[in-house]
Amino acid sequence: MNLNLFLSSFVLSLVLLIIPILVPNKMLPKQLMYPKYVKSIVSLSFLISLIPTSMLLYTGQEGMISNWNWLSIQTFSINVTFKLDFFSLVFMSVALFVTWSIMEFSLWYMSSDPNMEKFFKYLLLFLITMTVLVTANNLFQLFVGWEGVGIMSFLLIGWWYGRADANTAAMQAILYNRIGDIGLVSSMAWLSLNFNSMEFQQMFMMSDKINIIPLMGLLLAAMGKSAQFGLHPWLPAAMEGPTPVSALLHSSTMVVAGIFLLVRFYPLMQHNKNILMMSLCLGAITTLFTAMCALTQNDIKKIIAFSTSSQLGLMMVTIGINQPYLAFLHICMHAFFKAMLFMCSGSIIHNLNDEQDIRKMGGLFKLMPFTSSCLIIGSLALTGMPFMTGFYSKDLIIEYANTSYLNAWALTITLLATSLTAIYSTRIIFYVLLCHPRYNPTPKIHENNHYLIKSLKRLAMGSIFAGFIMFNAISPTNMPQMTMPYYIKFSAIIVTILGFTIAMELNFTTYYMKSKYSSKTSTFSNMLGYFPHTMHRLLTKTKLLIDQNLASSLIDLIWMEKTAPKSITNYQLMASNIMSNQMGLIKLYFLSFLMSMSLALFIMF
Amino acid sequence: MSAIYMNMTIAFMASLTGMMMYRSHMMSSLLCLEGMMLSMFVMASLITLNSHYTLSYTIPLVLLVFSACEAAMGLALLVLVSNTYGSDYVQNLNLLRC
Repeated sequence: MNLNLFLSSFVLSLVLLIIPILVPNKMLPKQLMYPKYVKSIVSLSFLISLIPTSMLLYTGQEGMISNWNWLSIQTFSINVTFKLDFFSLVFMSVALFVTWSIMEFSLWYMSSDPNMEKFFKYLLLFLITMTVLVTANNLFQLFVGWEGVGIMSFLLIGWWYGRADANTAAMQAILYNRIGDIGLVSSMAWLSLNFNSMEFQQMFMMSDKINIIPLMGLLLAAMGKSAQFGLHPWLPAAMEGPTPVSALLHSSTMVVAGIFLLVRFYPLMQHNKNILMMSLCLGAITTLFTAMCALTQNDIKKIIAFSTSSQLGLMMVTIGINQPYLAFLHICMHAFFKAMLFMCSGSIIHNLNDEQDIRKMGGLFKLMPFTSSCLIIGSLALTGMPFMTGFYSKDLIIEYANTSYLNAWALTITLLATSLTAIYSTRIIFYVLLCHPRYNPTPKIHENNHYLIKSLKRLAMGSIFAGFIMFNAISPTNMPQMTMPYYIKFSAIIVTILGFTIAMELNFTTYYMKSKYSSKTSTFSNMLGYFPHTMHRLLTKTKLLIDQNLASSLIDLIWMEKTAPKSITNYQLMASNIMSNQMGLIKLYFLSFLMSMSLALFIMF
Repeated sequence: MSAIYMNMTIAFMASLTGMMMYRSHMMSSLLCLEGMMLSMFVMASLITLNSHYTLSYTIPLVLLVFSACEAAMGLALLVLVSNTYGSDYVQNLNLLRC
């Protein structure tokens, strides 16, 4: 309705985020001023971004801002454009809400860190680049945002750079993201060559002339950024960063950038059966494999990281069954409870004096009631308990997958992974909250910091109600399947309850059992299927050995040294050894030569 | 024929004789080899310049290059013999030892 309000409030919420970057630190007097300032800026930006979001949801009006001509090469022009459609606006609001809570949480979590202001600046820079990615209307700006989040992820994972593991994890993140970037750049090149523009509107108009090559490039980019199987090891390794970083980047915002890219390009993908099949199978493998790996991990952050990876696989499955809007809905819902799970784990870790191993936690149910209730709320939302946040997207996905025409293997695997979700959630709850404590009684356990309580409470409210609010507010995007047999309708909830009961039974039964050795299956799951161990060493060592043999041995040592000079030497020595029958009487030979020469000359003249 | 040609020819003959007949050191043979080369070089230069035969102007230089190579080889052989026997006396090369 009111275009001015729509566009200008959106621009305001973006511009607000840039202000703390430009303000120098010395203008603010006391300590804890700059981080609080950043947090309040983000909360203000969130409140202002609600204006265009609600305008969109109630009037269905979309917009596009075209600002600045960046470069134009003959007929090809790249402008700075912002696309204000359903995906960008809703994601912006959700991301700003989650970032606000996380920043408030890190006011407590990182309060003992001397570089707290730099941390907040990095988080804000990350938020800005994520915004650029999400609101981009052309591929070039999206690529800028893409690289920006990659760099901020590197800087934030390696926040404690004195730790060697953190540096390797950051490097791993960059390398795996780079392999995905190859796909994105190749699809950018193909699309700009064949469609003569990088703007989305023009590309979507020509969706009937699309080839599989750029779509495979986009799928590779999503594999790299969203940690699908094959390019997944960086996500559990990224838990070396501080907990707010894990909560923001590696659960809600950055890792969904790959899925978001595929959601953005759904007009190009929806008619190509091959790419849908590929993403379905890839997502199914990812969700099962990472859920299996999560079953035997002992670090609480790694379990939640694998849970994130498994949900990303589920989002890829959703794209594979041609439901981009459901995938996007799952992105938004997942952000709430996953960030809350990470923040609960951060609260537990800090309170137990930096203990991250769940085998050394226990009995926190009575000692930390607020954190444990938030943990249980988050786990229930994750597993898709009816009418909490996760239910509205996850149950719909599984229902839709059950009633659509796809291969049964992918479907079975997805259902299996759903029950595994319940199993590892129960594992966390059991080991962390129930039974007797297994840690030293010295740490001071208290939850009385108001930053922690406020942020957790906000996200808990979101985990319970946001699904309902969002689902009823958006316009229906496709016709959901209304009639199906009762066993299909209940399949998701049944496998989840099955998972819960089996896990609880197993946990209580084996609580006092001592196992001598780890079984083969358990080791397979604990070592992440040996994927990092083989791929990181085997491939690179083989490649480097081949290169060394080619360059150094083959060319330098063999061709240039042995073939020409040494072979001639050996040949000459051998020949002269065989053929010489002289005795070395040099003077005699020379004299005879002289005599015969002078005789010949004398006869001639 | 001018006197200079005869002069150079006699110099060549003398160096040849010196190379073929020498007492004990192999080095003197190598020195006479250089003398032969020098006389040939001067004769080639004089003949080419006097007859204005342009295409042959490079021949003395080529001759110089090849003689440098052969002098280096001769010195290498000398060094090998000297490494084995400690001196360059020509009676060392006699393989008959009886």
